[in-house]
Amino acid sequence: MEQVQTETSKMSWWNSLTARSEFTRDRVVPILRYMRRNRLIVFGLGAFMALALFVGLSFLFYEQEDSYQERQGVNGLVRAASVEQDQKPSWNPWSGYPLGTDPKGRDIYAAVVVGVPLTLRVGLLAAAIGVGVGMVLAFVAAYVGGAVDAVVRTIVDSLIPIPSLLVLVLVATSLNPGKGLTVDQLGFVIAVLAWPGPARVIRSQVLVIRERGYVEMARMSGTSALGIIFKEMMPNLAPYALASFVAAVSGSMLASIGLESLGLGPLDSPTLGSMIFWNISESSVLLGLWYWLLPPIVVLVVLFVGLFMISAGLDEVANPRLRRRV
Amino acid sequence: MPWNYIISRLAMFFVTIYIASTIVFFLPRISGQNPLEEKLLEEAARGGFLEDTQAMVEAFDEKYGFNKPVWEQYVKFMVDIVQFDLGRSIFNWPKTVNQLLAETILWTIALGLLTLIFAFIIGTLMGAILEWKRHKTFLMVLMSPILTLSAVPYYLFGLVLLLAFSFVWSIFPLFGGYSRGIAGWPDWSNWSFIGNVLWHATLPALSVVLVSLGGWAMGMRGMMVTTKGEDYMLQAEAKGLPDRVMFFRYGIRNAMLPQLTGLALQLGLIVSGLVLVEVVFSYPGVGGLLVQAIPRNDHAVIQGIVFVLALGTALATLILDLAYPLVDARIKYSQG
Repeated sequence: MEQVQTETSKMSWWNSLTARSEFTRDRVVPILRYMRRNRLIVFGLGAFMALALFVGLSFLFYEQEDSYQERQGVNGLVRAASVEQDQKPSWNPWSGYPLGTDPKGRDIYAAVVVGVPLTLRVGLLAAAIGVGVGMVLAFVAAYVGGAVDAVVRTIVDSLIPIPSLLVLVLVATSLNPGKGLTVDQLGFVIAVLAWPGPARVIRSQVLVIRERGYVEMARMSGTSALGIIFKEMMPNLAPYALASFVAAVSGSMLASIGLESLGLGPLDSPTLGSMIFWNISESSVLLGLWYWLLPPIVVLVVLFVGLFMISAGLDEVANPRLRRRV
Repeated sequence: MPWNYIISRLAMFFVTIYIASTIVFFLPRISGQNPLEEKLLEEAARGGFLEDTQAMVEAFDEKYGFNKPVWEQYVKFMVDIVQFDLGRSIFNWPKTVNQLLAETILWTIALGLLTLIFAFIIGTLMGAILEWKRHKTFLMVLMSPILTLSAVPYYLFGLVLLLAFSFVWSIFPLFGGYSRGIAGWPDWSNWSFIGNVLWHATLPALSVVLVSLGGWAMGMRGMMVTTKGEDYMLQAEAKGLPDRVMFFRYGIRNAMLPQLTGLALQLGLIVSGLVLVEVVFSYPGVGGLLVQAIPRNDHAVIQGIVFVLALGTALATLILDLAYPLVDARIKYSQG
C-alpha cells in the first residue's frame, strides 16, 4: 500500500514536470520536434555552445603566473607581453602554458580565449547595423515604391558586384592611417557595406508578404501602415530576417578577419584576426611555430562552420521549398 | 535579345563603375592626411635633414592639382579614370600605378580564372553526380569534409596547407611565384620555368579550389533535384535512353544554367579572397602590391587596385548577363 502511495507521488511529480502547459505544448514542443529533424541547426548551435563553454570556463578558472611570478587571469596574461631575454617561444604543455607562448611572450591559450568574444563582437555589431539599415531600406523601398524603390534597387544592385573587402581596405586605411582601428570602429567600418545583401533579400520578401490575405485583411479593417508593418508583417518576416542576420554575422566576421589579417585591425587587442596577422608578418610558418598558428585557425573554423550550419538550417526554416527536400 | 535590356544592363554597369570610382576618390580624402608629407618627414627623420619639406609638398600638390578645390579635383580624377590614368605611386616613384598593376595583375587574373574554372567544373560535376547516384555512400562521405571546408576562408585553409605541405613535408615551396636567383628567369619560353611557376601555384590554387568546391556542388545538387522531377526526364527514361545521355544531355545541361549566373559573382569573391591568399603565399600578384601600399598610405596604388578589381568584376557580370540568352534559349527579356 505504502509502495503504491510513493509510486503515485512519484508519478505526480513526474507529471507536473512534464505536464504540457499551454506554452510548452504550443511553443517548446514543436520547436524541439522540428530541431530533431533539422540536424544542421542542432550541430551549429552545439558547436557554438561548446565554444562558449570553453571561453566562459577559461575566463572563470584559467590562471597562470606571468613573467613576474604574479598570478593572472586570462585578461592579465594577454596584456603581460614581457619576456625575459633568454626565454624563446616554446611549446611545452606540461610545464606552464598549455599552448605555449608567442614570440612576444603572450600566453597563446589566453589570447585565443580573449579573442573569441572580441571577434564575435565585431561580427554582431556590423551585422546588427547592416541588417537594421537594410530592413528599413527594404520596407521603405517596398512600401513607397515608384522612384524611391528604383533608386534603392539600383544602388543595391550596383553595390553588390563591387568587391567589398577591397572597399573596406580603402575605408580602414583612410580613417586612421598607420595606427589601426579599435574593435568597435572596425565593426562600424564593416557595417558600411553590410546592408545591401540583407536589403535585397528582405525587400523581395516584403513584396511577397504584402500581397498576402492577412495583410489585405488588416488593411481593409483600417490598421495603420505602421501597425501592419509591426504587427502583421514583422512576425512573418522573422525567419528571413534571422537567416540574413546570421549570414551577415558570418560575412562581417569574414571581412573583419580579412581586414585584420592585412594589418588594418586593432593590433593592440588580441582578436583572432590580429593573431593571424602577426603569424603572417612574423612568418610563423617559416619558423615552424605551428602551436601559434593553429589555435586561432581551429577556433575560427569552429566559428565559421557553426555559423554556416545555423544559417543553412535557418534557410530551411525560412524556405519551405528546401524543407520538402529533406 | 531586345535592345532595352542591353541598354538597361549597360546603364547598370556604368552606374557601378561610377559609384566605384566615386568611392575610390572620396574615401582617402576623408582622413585629410598628406601621404607625401609623411613620407618626406620620415625620410627627413632618417636622413637627418628637414629643409624645405613643406615647399616640396606644395610643389607636388601644385603639379598634380591637390591644392585645388575638391570638385575640381573630382572632375580631373574622373577625366583621368576615363582615360585609364590612375596616377603615380608615391613610394615607387616615379612608376605609375598602371605600370605597377601591369607587373602584377596577370598573376592574379591567371590564378583567379584557373581556380574558378577548376572549382566550377569539378564542383558542378560532383553536385550532379551526388544527386544522380544517391545510393553511393562514399560520395556522401566525401561531401561532408568538402562542405565543412566551404565555410572556411581561403587563406586560413591556405595557411594550414602551407604548414603541412611546405614546412612539415616540404613537397611544395614556401613562398613566391617562381624560384628566384636563377639567371635568365623569368623566361616564359623556357619549359622548366613554366613548370616551376605551376609548382609554385599549386598550393594557392588548391586552397581556393578545395574551399569553393562545396558551394558549387550544393547549388548543382539543388538544381538537379528539380530537374530530375521534370516531365522530360520521365520521357527520356520511357524512351529508354542510356543513363549517360540522360545525365549529360538532359540533366546537367538544364540544371547548370543557374550555376552560370553565380559564376560572375563568384569571380568577385575569388578576386578579393585571392588578395589574402597571395599575402599568405607571398605570391607576386595584386595582393602583395596592396599589402606593401597599405602601411605606407600609398593612396594612388590602393585606389588603383580597388578600382581595377571592381571594374573587372563588374565587366565579368555584364558579359555573363549579356551572354546568358545565348546559353539558355528559353530566356526572354520582357522587361530589364
